Amino acid sequence: MSIETPPPITPMTRINVMQGQARVSAGPRVEFSTVLGSCVATCLFDPEIEVGGMNHFLLAEPSPSSATGDFDEHYGVYLMELLINEMLANGAAKHRLRAHLYGGANLNAGFARIGARNGEFARGFLADERITVVKEDLGGVFARRVDFRPSRGQVRCRTVENTLAPDPRPTIRPSRSVGDVELF
Amino acid sequence: MTMNKNTRILTVDDSASMRALLNHALTSHGFDVAQAEDGEVALEWLALNEVDVVITDINMPRLDGFGLIERLRAGNRHRDRPILVLTTESSEEKKARARQAGATGWIVKPFDPEKLVAAVRRVSH
Repeated sequence: MSIETPPPITPMTRINVMQGQARVSAGPRVEFSTVLGSCVATCLFDPEIEVGGMNHFLLAEPSPSSATGDFDEHYGVYLMELLINEMLANGAAKHRLRAHLYGGANLNAGFARIGARNGEFARGFLADERITVVKEDLGGVFARRVDFRPSRGQVRCRTVENTLAPDPRPTIRPSRSVGDVELF
Repeated sequence: MTMNKNTRILTVDDSASMRALLNHALTSHGFDVAQAEDGEVALEWLALNEVDVVITDINMPRLDGFGLIERLRAGNRHRDRPILVLTTESSEEKKARARQAGATGWIVKPFDPEKLVAAVRRVSH
């Protein structure tokens, strides 16, 4: 075993993974960070090729009765697939993936238990995909800050002030073309 | 609505949640929907069943979407079947590969059910 000498002045690049995003990196000096209230973040890691990724979703999945059948970046059902596909596109193998789950707090007793539902969804999705969850810190009533080093699979999760958590409502984005169809 | 009554769609996606969403979006517009969880299952199903449109994901275990399209185009039975790719992949290279394999169209997730339904109607006529 050799001792690696880190490059002398390469600073750590911290990337904030916002609500509705999924990011993947193999960069040794990259750290993904996010702050979660009722949202859930999934960290995936493939130890063999040292690639990791994180997503951050607001809601589990659209209600089956939803008139529009929205399937967009607010939802875990989209962001889980996006994250897994990004991992595979970067050389990961599904059977080697290891998952961590964080967040899903119910910050406000008056709210519907969105956080609990998000956590249950994430567990169920990963079980369906046969991806092993090696660590989870879900639920409770406090916000969390998660720092993830994707090339090492290392996670640090701390409780933070609830006021730091993002608003548990969909961010309003400028309208954009979703699901455009290109016929060849 | 009646014009959709006999339009049969096979969706191919390895995610159970995605299959549920697609099933809801398409059946609520009156389409007949069958579902397969990867390319191999789709090929087995298509060997025995008739369908008007195939909607397939790209990244799947066993046989991926590219492989499925190539196999369908290589046989007689589904050589001219409309095949729409529905994927989270947004790279031009993957899109070009799907086109070369013989895909009819390319849709990037997240999908808009109305646009998906419009595309199905266009290619199934």
